[in-house]
Amino acid sequence: MDNILTIEHVSKSYTGHKALDDVSLEVPRGAIYGLLGPNGAGKTTLIRVITRITLADAGRVLLDGKEVTTDEVFHIGYMPEERGLYKKMKVGEQAMFFARLKGMSRRDAETRLREWFERLEIADWWGRKVEDLSKGMAQKVQFISTVVHEPKLLIFDEPFSGFDPINADRLKQEILGLRDRGATVIFSTHNMASVEEICDHITLINKSHNVLSGSVEEIRREAGGNTFEVIHRADDEQFNLAIAGIATPLTESRGIVGGYRETKIHIAKDEDVKVVIERLNNKCDLRAISEVIPSINDIFIRAVNGAL
Amino acid sequence: MRKMWLIIVREFMERVRKKSFIVATFVTPLLMVVLMVAPSLVMFYGSSDQKQIAVVDRSGMVSDKLVSTSEVMFVDQSTMTKAEACRVFNAESGVLGVLYIGSEIEHRDSVQLITNESSSIMIEESITHQIKSVVEREKLRAYDIENLDEILASVATNIELATYENNGTGEEATMESTSSGISYALGIILGMMLYMLLILYGQMVLTSVVEEKSSRVIDVMVTSSSPFQIMMGKILGIALVAVAQIAIWATLVISASKFLLPVIFSADMAATNDMMMQMIVGTLGDTGYIASLFGCLLLFVVGGFLLYAALFAAAGSAVDSVQEGQQYNTIIMMPIILSIIVMMSIFNDPNSPIAFWASMVPFTSPIVMIARIPFGIPWWEVVVSLVVLYASVVVVVWLASRIFRIGIFMHGKRPSWRELLQWIRTK
Repeated sequence: MDNILTIEHVSKSYTGHKALDDVSLEVPRGAIYGLLGPNGAGKTTLIRVITRITLADAGRVLLDGKEVTTDEVFHIGYMPEERGLYKKMKVGEQAMFFARLKGMSRRDAETRLREWFERLEIADWWGRKVEDLSKGMAQKVQFISTVVHEPKLLIFDEPFSGFDPINADRLKQEILGLRDRGATVIFSTHNMASVEEICDHITLINKSHNVLSGSVEEIRREAGGNTFEVIHRADDEQFNLAIAGIATPLTESRGIVGGYRETKIHIAKDEDVKVVIERLNNKCDLRAISEVIPSINDIFIRAVNGAL
Repeated sequence: MRKMWLIIVREFMERVRKKSFIVATFVTPLLMVVLMVAPSLVMFYGSSDQKQIAVVDRSGMVSDKLVSTSEVMFVDQSTMTKAEACRVFNAESGVLGVLYIGSEIEHRDSVQLITNESSSIMIEESITHQIKSVVEREKLRAYDIENLDEILASVATNIELATYENNGTGEEATMESTSSGISYALGIILGMMLYMLLILYGQMVLTSVVEEKSSRVIDVMVTSSSPFQIMMGKILGIALVAVAQIAIWATLVISASKFLLPVIFSADMAATNDMMMQMIVGTLGDTGYIASLFGCLLLFVVGGFLLYAALFAAAGSAVDSVQEGQQYNTIIMMPIILSIIVMMSIFNDPNSPIAFWASMVPFTSPIVMIARIPFGIPWWEVVVSLVVLYASVVVVVWLASRIFRIGIFMHGKRPSWRELLQWIRTK
């Protein structure tokens, strides 16, 4: 597959603790790539290594197959979590300044920025000072400054924090739009709902390690492998006895309508599902069994707890 | 280069458009003029009310010849004894005091001023001077010289010393007039101006770097420009503000020297014999000289500023808040303050070894040299000093940028000196 960004064995230590430990990952071109992980896992450090804000102690970062240099960084649009805007500066001038720093001509920058301001409904704010803006407004300005020069790689650190649901959705649509126009998007988040909605690939970072990488579909299928939801009429003791040795219950059973109970089980890898079905059918009055594809949220929690 | 230029322009525009800049630029010179003119105005108009002095003259030859001035009025009370006068003209009487003149004037302790409140040196000098001339005149009179008054009037002489710098040609017309008084004043003004500019604008660099860092704008900036470009952009942008300010001041002063001074002084100049006044007006009116002084000021300001700004930028990058920067701040300010101390000492001898060396060492040279220039020092000294200054600017900027590129991304604990050294050394 064509990867726009390749990270090879990157490690980074700060005094006394390892922020990244031998992290490798590949970001396919045109993907929307989620960087997940609990607070302090090393997401932001990884982003800062990619943008060359921090230099890695070991390992390589390749953009389009070439090691990232100061010049290459200009092809990356980066929106940090802690928004950085000059407070005393006027919104429009500021956006112009960043756009021109990214190499746009004055005229180009102005036309494109005006378009974006119109689109995100902040055109009236062009002449205001940043310090007069609400948090969400400032974030829109920051977003525009990040994307206006249409870099091939966009990196957002927690882009949705601070937005109301309507504006968050707005932003989501814009990010999808940017992807459709050819950009690759990486964003870090711990908002799992947004991941499921728009990411096609993810990497899960926990305790400085890359715990899990891949396309969302595959990960969910793999992580969900051999998890089943069983609807039956047996009590827990009877049920556990029936599957003993070939499967383990993941939850206590839960009563549902019509005297039926529901239990989530995990079938041991080398066991055939048919055998389990047969046993359950014989002993527990099996009514239904279906494979469960876990949500990214479940996977996240399981991975962080070391259960994956 | 284009990116650095964009940063420079941003820094410059942000500052120049501020009201505080406009106010500082146009109000400061006004304030300085007021400060310079005020003392003489006070002396002129604000002289305190005339004080009375009761005179008890036992010699009988002084009292009626004492001339009252704007400060004191002499009232003859020779009919009283000293003791009586002291009792009558006590603190409640509103009189400054009693002047007692014994019969033998030249004897020790024979002339006394017994005051109710402290008198001023000016009053005391005026009294001594008057009594002295009265007595001298009386003595001369004793020789019975004819037309004594005319003779004395024709003898009275007024000398002003005009000083020139020897340029070896022996032609007076080509020699530059020098006056330590004017050099002193110019030196002090230039040195102080540089001191103010260094501290003011140096601080501005520190604050600006800390703001950039704490607002995390820097994170966005580095994806489009290198830390070196950012640091130099900031320093040069702020330097440009300083240059703009000096240029405005220079324009004001030069145009004043060209257009305003001739108008004010042309009428009086012909009338006045005051050499000192002529010299001051002459110096200030010498537009070329003033322009060359401002030229030097500009070169030393820019060099000195770059040197210190680089240090302030490095300090700002290493800390998280302006308060935290205070420690570095104090250390960086030390040579600036030292320069001022040395500058004060050079007025006694502008060519002393300490003055010479302090104007060569880059950290003190801008202020000390600019203060020495009006004394007419050899040009090679100025050139050497400038070369040394600009060479060290290159070195210091390089060192500062090594610290800056790492410090600007470090948050949390303030780095130790060892860490700073390490930053300089890391590749």
